[in-house]
Amino acid sequence: MTRNLRIPGIVRGSRIQFFFNGREITAFKGETVLAALMAAGIKTLGVDPHGKGRGALCGMGVCYQCRVSIDGRPGRRACMAQVRAGMVIETEKDLP
Amino acid sequence: MIFKKRCDVAIVGGGVCGLAAAATLADQKLDVLVLDENRYLGGQVLRSLPWPGNASGIHKIFRSRPRLVDKTATPSVTILNHTQVMGIDKDLEILAEKDRKEIIGIRPQMVLAATGARETFVPFPGWTLPGVMAAGGVQTLMKGAGVLPGQYMVVAGMGPFLTAVAGLFLKNKGMPTAILDFGKRADTCRLLVHGFRQGAKILEGVRNLTGIFLAGVPCRYRTMVVAAQGSRELEKVVAARVDSLGRIIGGTGKTYKTGCLATGWGFVPNLELPMQAGCSLTHDPDLGGWVVAVTHDFETSIPGIFAAGEITGIAGASISMIEGELAALGILKKLGRNVDVHRMAALQRQRKQSLSFSTWFNRLHRVPDAVFCAIPDTVLICRCEHITMGEIKTAVEKGYDTPAMLKKVLRCGMGLCQGRTCGPVVNRILAALTRRSAEAFPVLPVRTPVKQVSVRSFLR
Repeated sequence: MTRNLRIPGIVRGSRIQFFFNGREITAFKGETVLAALMAAGIKTLGVDPHGKGRGALCGMGVCYQCRVSIDGRPGRRACMAQVRAGMVIETEKDLP
Repeated sequence: MIFKKRCDVAIVGGGVCGLAAAATLADQKLDVLVLDENRYLGGQVLRSLPWPGNASGIHKIFRSRPRLVDKTATPSVTILNHTQVMGIDKDLEILAEKDRKEIIGIRPQMVLAATGARETFVPFPGWTLPGVMAAGGVQTLMKGAGVLPGQYMVVAGMGPFLTAVAGLFLKNKGMPTAILDFGKRADTCRLLVHGFRQGAKILEGVRNLTGIFLAGVPCRYRTMVVAAQGSRELEKVVAARVDSLGRIIGGTGKTYKTGCLATGWGFVPNLELPMQAGCSLTHDPDLGGWVVAVTHDFETSIPGIFAAGEITGIAGASISMIEGELAALGILKKLGRNVDVHRMAALQRQRKQSLSFSTWFNRLHRVPDAVFCAIPDTVLICRCEHITMGEIKTAVEKGYDTPAMLKKVLRCGMGLCQGRTCGPVVNRILAALTRRSAEAFPVLPVRTPVKQVSVRSFLR
């Protein structure tokens, strides 16, 4: 990323680390998984049965397009889950 | 393990409407329970940063009134956040899941459904590419987490919500590439003139438009996205001009390079819970199509279940707040309490006045049928089940021309979102293809659980 996508001048929670497909990413306590991933420039959150990428749409828990596996539990909505230190997040390949 | 709670009134949805109702009921010392799916109260409109010490991003018209969230911080109001309501049975018992780990049964005397609204769309080729987001989703990201979706962004769809999102993006040092509005430029002017009585909201609109103009962001009217392109994620947006019926004018295509597209075409009510509970609906094209039918006191067809806010008609947050209070007064009346009839009459007057603006606004921003007919065959309509416009057209030609039949033959609306995204779109597509009123197509039936819950919760 060429620029930090976090809006400057905001008081945030404490700095934490989590993992996305094995990559270590910095986030702030209180952020949703989606916000933390978007801030890291990550938009592709899953793969559809045709091998195409899938990303967040509604951002408020309605559409399920942002579902990821969190600490081994599949189908969690990135927009509704809060990021925690050491969380292991993985993209899922959708069943046909 | 299921544990049971009793209360006087259970409110589902802690947005402006639910909170206004809770505050009114709390004044009468009623035992109130507010259930909300999110971790923080406020719903979509009052959503703000989760960290203390930041200036409130909440819109001025709500800040100037007594702070709703603070007003509900009394012992008679219990907040159950991070709680998904699965359904309401015929004895008004509510089944819910809290914190993704425990099942709760709630036995209230009365229920208020204040489940709000979600965004709706006009699908286009490439709208499933990562980087294409709902305009509201982008706003949520900025308001609720202080994160921009990218450095650059195209905002496209219809109505003043686009300028609100672009304005917020610009204010936070993002650079909107372009704003592409399906509506006419003259509509924006009419809105500014007609809306002057809406006070603060219009003022903010003017401020946003001025900022956008000063920043030199191109605003294209009578323009819509014809395709989003990119090899793996969004790279560019192709847009074209449309005629007065919404048909694309050939040779007017223009390409914008961007990694982010915010698209928004208006809002539709979250009807799932009232429908599951058996509440009757009514169809009003000027208020968002199918909405919950309510009496003067906001009681639904099921005695004891009240409904208010966007689910009784898409009309904006100020009306939701008024309706929340009115529904609370209706509940108090039904419980045999004394209510201030003057206050009730004053609120009804305010509501009627604002509602005439909302219906005018909705009519102005109604997407023509031709736009839905023109969706190319390859475009995915039901994202969850991978159903294209072409498959829907073929099914309709064979006579499967209702949402229920499309669900049976194509699985349209049977995926994870349970038709929440494609449902309202399919309704418009069917109406457009068969040249019938959208009223001819009932909403798909809803059963418990209306929200996905973890099986683990039941096992504990």
